[in-house]
Amino acid sequence: MAFLSADNLTEIKHLFEGLTGDVRLIYFTQRESPLYIPGHECETCKDTRTLLEEVAALSEKITLEVHDFVAESQLAHEYGIDRIPALVMTADGVKGTIRYFGMPSGYEFSVLLGSLLDASQGKSELSEASIETLSSVDKNLHIQVFVTPT
Amino acid sequence: MAIENEHVMADVVEVNEFPHLAQRYVIRGVPKTVINESVEFVGNVPESQFMEHIQRAFSPSASS
Repeated sequence: MAFLSADNLTEIKHLFEGLTGDVRLIYFTQRESPLYIPGHECETCKDTRTLLEEVAALSEKITLEVHDFVAESQLAHEYGIDRIPALVMTADGVKGTIRYFGMPSGYEFSVLLGSLLDASQGKSELSEASIETLSSVDKNLHIQVFVTPT
Repeated sequence: MAIENEHVMADVVEVNEFPHLAQRYVIRGVPKTVINESVEFVGNVPESQFMEHIQRAFSPSASS
């Protein structure tokens, strides 16, 4: 199933003209099995993967890597991934770590696209004052934002 | 913020998909932000206020 309409594709392609540096999307999912194992299902893993594939196909600057959360638990551990679907966004210009848990749909999808652009360009949209404050942070700062699809 | 500093880990969590986290962080409204497990607030706040919350998370008496 395709998630992005022809209009979406045109719009996103236009947005992606602003991509400057390469962005890696490291996606953790589960093996897509026809077997239903209670307690181990990941309802949105497959859809999230499809959505990310559609996005990654729109620019050569975006690379999507798909990993099995269970089979590649060591890698998942390295990124601190303890649940799926999980996405890690990295780029040369990103000093910290950006992660998404769950399917980025609705408003969150536009947030994801905005982050992609910022990560690619290696610059945040923060004020100079905030950037200065952040530059003095020398301890781990974990920010979790909980959202619902809109 | 994660772009600017190597110590920053910024997560977006779709809470409906992880009900155990909704329970753990007592999420009754969104967006809910939790900083270093010590400071939390609900709703969109101006950037300057967000930065104050971050500084609060680093203060010795950090609590929500």
